[in-house]
Amino acid sequence: MNVLSVHNLSKNYGAIKALDGVSFDVEKGSVFGILGPNGSGKTTLLAIAMNVLYASSGTYVWNETEDINQANQRKKIGTLLETPNFYPYLSAFSNLRIAAAIKGCSLDEIPRVLKIVNLYERKDHVFNSYSLGMKQRLAIASALLGDPDILVLDEPTNGLDPAGIAEIRTLIKQLHQSGKTIIMASHILDEVEKVCSHVAIIQKGILKTSGSVQSVLNAGKTNHQKYEIASENINGLNEILNELTGILQIENLNGKLVITAATDINAATINQFCFQKGITLTHIIEQKNNLEKRFLEITGSASDR
Amino acid sequence: MYQLLKIEWLKIKSYKAFWLLSSVFVALYPITLFIVGYKYNSEISNAKGIEGGAIRGLLGSPFLFPKIWLSSAWFGGLFFIAIGMLFIMFITNEVQYRTQKQNIIDGWSRLDYLKAKLSLLFAFSIVATAIVFIVGLISGLSFSPVSAYSTLMDESIYILYFFLMATLYLIIAFLIAILIKRTGVAIIVYFGLVCIIDNLLWASLTFQKSQIGYFLPFEVVDSLVPNPFSPSVLKRRTISDWYLVAASFGYITLWWYLIKKKFTQSDLKN
Repeated sequence: MNVLSVHNLSKNYGAIKALDGVSFDVEKGSVFGILGPNGSGKTTLLAIAMNVLYASSGTYVWNETEDINQANQRKKIGTLLETPNFYPYLSAFSNLRIAAAIKGCSLDEIPRVLKIVNLYERKDHVFNSYSLGMKQRLAIASALLGDPDILVLDEPTNGLDPAGIAEIRTLIKQLHQSGKTIIMASHILDEVEKVCSHVAIIQKGILKTSGSVQSVLNAGKTNHQKYEIASENINGLNEILNELTGILQIENLNGKLVITAATDINAATINQFCFQKGITLTHIIEQKNNLEKRFLEITGSASDR
Repeated sequence: MYQLLKIEWLKIKSYKAFWLLSSVFVALYPITLFIVGYKYNSEISNAKGIEGGAIRGLLGSPFLFPKIWLSSAWFGGLFFIAIGMLFIMFITNEVQYRTQKQNIIDGWSRLDYLKAKLSLLFAFSIVATAIVFIVGLISGLSFSPVSAYSTLMDESIYILYFFLMATLYLIIAFLIAILIKRTGVAIIVYFGLVCIIDNLLWASLTFQKSQIGYFLPFEVVDSLVPNPFSPSVLKRRTISDWYLVAASFGYITLWWYLIKKKFTQSDLKN
């Protein structure tokens, strides 16, 4: 079942196309990352799905429902969109009371979600007195009200310190394991790679690719692999490697060698070969075909701003 | 609707400007009415001879039954402008805090959001009308001689006119806030319309006895609750109250339609 289906969604601001014919489906139970540079249209996309903005054309549907009133669907979705939005003069508790009342969920939920994000002790402090990180955590708490099956998180770790980031990532993983669907926009590739099962990459409002993280990575696979190796005898290492068949290229980089090898060679082959030739390796790393590399291949390396 | 009003109450009950501006109405209005009424009654009854008689004949007794209803409604109207300002702030604040957007994200439809504000609007009008009634009743009872008690409810229609006036003033504030969104600018535009533009237009339109000026957006209700101190011989209005009441309902419907159209069809930026 699809939790969200987006079909041919476009949003124009005058001549500027913030979104241009974006289509994809989010399967139930997945952690779906929407990845793109700043200003690529990630937030615009989510804002349309949350009825904050209207699409110029195209449609979206939550939970495959025919229900015209998508507001009822939104009540069952926990959303953090762009910034934490709260009444600055109200306490955390009172703010969540309003959100809970709109969602139609019980007040008992409030202490539970505040405890999850470690704000329970500060529940009676006014929102204005909160630090940026606390505001962000309160927004996540608000999204968790009513234990929704779907979470929409736009840059969830924005403004958090390293410990806070790690906590939120753990939380997202836990939520995923408990069967929830998470739709997450981010420009932090590492974040998406660490927590997402599926990914959509958008740039300048155009969907470049989407699918499972593995399939997106595999689509970029080439027939060679890079390794970074080093030894105390770097010159000797360089010489003997020339004798190994399957090595396509050797570069010397700050006292380490970056070698490009055919796919029938692996780290063990290289290590064994060098050892037989009397050279001990002090360092060998297979350069992973990671999302960052793939992302830059897809979007080009120039900044889009 | 009651559920929506309850949520609006959660938003406003800790809001300082709410207590400050509503106390302008709840406290300053009755105090002013009592002081002016007390002064007026003692001065007028002290005025002797032909002069005193002329003033009494010209102005009547605005602080005695049944004229007190008009006076309490008119004074209430003066102070109710503070509530209009408060109402603008409520709506523009929600834009500034981005909570308007969040309310929609959390599961209100655009119309739910407007209905919540509308429920608050009526709550303000109803409570203010009740206060105007109570203040009118108390001042009437304390200023009037017992002999006037028989005419007690005679002109209490002004209380209903006040309700209409309060509702119309607030719905115009609502429209301005939805269109302008920025607190400061919206308040300036509101005061500009209430105090200057409406009066200028009214003066130019009622010149040469035309009746069109009475149908201006604010004037239509202002005319229903005329200044109790202006002598009746100066009255130039010939159309009946019922035309103005009908026009007020027309305006309320029109402004609500425009608010709905604007808010349900536009993007919530910020």
